[in-house]
Amino acid sequence: MEQTLKTRGETAQIFHHLVRDPLGLVGLAIVSIILLSALFADQIVPYDPVALNIPDRLQGPSLTHLLGTDQLGRDTFSRMLMGGRVALQVALPTIAGAMSLGLLLGMIAGYGPRWLDNLILLFFDTIRSFPTVMFALAVVALVGPSLNTVILVIMATSIPTYGRVVRTLTLSLKSAEFITAEKALGATNSRILGVHILPNVLGPMAVIAAMDIPTIVGLEAGLSFLGMGVKPPTPSWGSLLNDGYSLIRNTPWPIIAGGLPLIITTLGFTFLGEALRDVVDPKLRGRGGKK
Amino acid sequence: MNKPNIQWTKLPRRSFLKGASALGLAAAAGGGFSRHAFADGTTLRTRAYSDMRSLDPAFSQGVVDEEIQAPIYNKLIQYQPGREWGWQLDAAQSIEQADPTHINFTLKDTIGFTNGFGAMGAEDVKFSFERIIDPALESTNKPDWGPLSHVEVTGERTGTIVLKTPFQPLWNITLPYIAGNIVSKKAFESVGGKIDTTPVATSGPYLHKSWEPKQKTTLVRNPDWKGEAGAFDTIEIFPIDDEKAAEIAYEAGAIDFTRISLDSLERLKASPPADSTVVEFPSLFYVWVGMNLDNPKLENPKLRQAIQHAIDVPSIMQASYFSGAEPSTGIIAPGLVGHREQSMTGIAANLEKAQALLDESGESNVSLAIDVLNKSTNVTTAQILQANLAALGIALEIRLHEGATFWQLGENKDLELILNRFSMTPDPYYATSWFICEQAGVWNWERHCSEEFDKIHADAQAEADPEKRAAMYRRAQDIMEESGAYKFITHEATPDIFRNTIVPALRPDGLPLYRYFGKA
Repeated sequence: MEQTLKTRGETAQIFHHLVRDPLGLVGLAIVSIILLSALFADQIVPYDPVALNIPDRLQGPSLTHLLGTDQLGRDTFSRMLMGGRVALQVALPTIAGAMSLGLLLGMIAGYGPRWLDNLILLFFDTIRSFPTVMFALAVVALVGPSLNTVILVIMATSIPTYGRVVRTLTLSLKSAEFITAEKALGATNSRILGVHILPNVLGPMAVIAAMDIPTIVGLEAGLSFLGMGVKPPTPSWGSLLNDGYSLIRNTPWPIIAGGLPLIITTLGFTFLGEALRDVVDPKLRGRGGKK
Repeated sequence: MNKPNIQWTKLPRRSFLKGASALGLAAAAGGGFSRHAFADGTTLRTRAYSDMRSLDPAFSQGVVDEEIQAPIYNKLIQYQPGREWGWQLDAAQSIEQADPTHINFTLKDTIGFTNGFGAMGAEDVKFSFERIIDPALESTNKPDWGPLSHVEVTGERTGTIVLKTPFQPLWNITLPYIAGNIVSKKAFESVGGKIDTTPVATSGPYLHKSWEPKQKTTLVRNPDWKGEAGAFDTIEIFPIDDEKAAEIAYEAGAIDFTRISLDSLERLKASPPADSTVVEFPSLFYVWVGMNLDNPKLENPKLRQAIQHAIDVPSIMQASYFSGAEPSTGIIAPGLVGHREQSMTGIAANLEKAQALLDESGESNVSLAIDVLNKSTNVTTAQILQANLAALGIALEIRLHEGATFWQLGENKDLELILNRFSMTPDPYYATSWFICEQAGVWNWERHCSEEFDKIHADAQAEADPEKRAAMYRRAQDIMEESGAYKFITHEATPDIFRNTIVPALRPDGLPLYRYFGKA
């Protein structure tokens, strides 16, 4: 009960810090809008995003079609909203999976025996040695494009990012006085890892996760742009960009509908991540606008 | 105390982020960039859709290689620029069909090879044609020579092409195209019998000056050419795969001639760039939806027929080809022998008939996949097909492939539907040759095999009567369509744009004949 109250208090404090920081507030607002629009995309899209209406193709923006229509007469605004859902459908599970596995492996590497640390580091380095995009293209070429393939590939290549940070934090916490005291009192390894080390590494993880979401969204869009991501007719910001590129001399709207959300998402999550970083890193408190 | 001249300010990360965002917004609000100056009149700068691969006619890989080989080599006859297919004399002073299997020719006495390899003679013609059918050379262009037996040299500049059986495509796709290029026997023998990308001796109005891989090929005027001189001092051919990139290059003044995309046609016709002309030509390419007859999912003929009737070609023309192309009735384009005026399954979708056929088939919960080359036109077409079949309750998954993987798909026996596009030469023989039984699993991805079709393909190449020949090819396309394995979509179109400072010489399908390009 006491722990829950403490957690609630910390969450409120973080939120308080975020909304007091203009950058954090803007970031939070953008991210909230993106999350809500993705979550309720089904309810708010004015048209079926995959329904063809060829006679109405390539229309400019109007009250009927806010961002015009594409070459198949589909409402670009509806496709943009649904594209946001696809982007987050890729980004959130990817981040969650990569972060969970990175946490687990990083804590084992940092707290476990030396040989296990070396083995896990070798695993991280092996994965990191593949350029993410090339690795993704190779896997997609082998097993075929799909949303799940994209998620798995990006997740696999993101694990080392989290794992290495967690390992470093665990190594420094491992020799901290409070951990030594816990050990002297007979605490088990699982209690030390779960109760003492995990809460201390979660903050930095949240910052990295927030900063990573635009990267993953961008990767998914890149793969979909190349036709290696989601399959047609599923809308994604990448496929909107692809349509926009081929129609760029006829209409700018599809490329705006694909590009603008990517820019806004990147800015929103980066602002939020920056503000979160300032909040969770005590060394940065009082700088960057927070007094 | 002296102040430093430059005061270094620490730039906080957050300030950088804010500044960069503001800068990005400002850049987005601004935009525009200045245009490059147009190319001058002594150099023709043009575009090929891929890089050159070979300068040896025996190993030429198609249109792009031929666009470079045609100005530097000579043939007995060349395609005549214009709106109708025909040929004109080139290296031949005269040429005539003595009988169905003998063609007599006399060479001009003014044509010589570069690098001191002397005048062009009948021995060079014999060498050039016979090397292509020599099994030892393993020329990729051997089929173009069909039933060639040999070339008989009857004089220094006279000879006879001897065929084993009559071969009508000779005048349309052999002599005036890739396999008709004449090379120097002495020059080729001096380098072991074949070349790659460096010509050892040429004879045309232009010389091959250089090839910078993936950059450009440069041709220069041949000072020793005795015929009508090439109009340009230099021709630079840039390999630009992407149509949009080529259009931007044209509008920036970097090239003087290019094919343009159909989706840009309307815009460029309405407001062409300064001093430019847009022209439209029909194309010979053919696009179709194929169904693999060896796949158990498609073995029911009624299901295949239902699919044929469910596809709405006018929608595809509108959305994928921007109404710049016409629906096709088969694999043979209008203007060629054997073109059909109408297809058997119609052009617009007939959903009632399609539904009735599907009901007759007894198939339900049909789920299929279509393999598509990842180009925007194809992806758009595939989505229309998906919607067309969805109207029948057939689920269609779209599988996109890059070029390298797509063109290997023929080996895959599990293929279901394929959206395909083949190039074509101006003789129907070239079209039917890919759909015979022998080609099943090679280029015949539908694995359609018909004895009657194969017989027509074999007989029609020898048929001298144009009417009879046309009827044979029309029947061949009927057989294809009756099999239910094909739904013909379009032959596309070739819109070109060029600077008014040049006079392009184009084939009836809009492809360039650079040796005949002139200045305005």
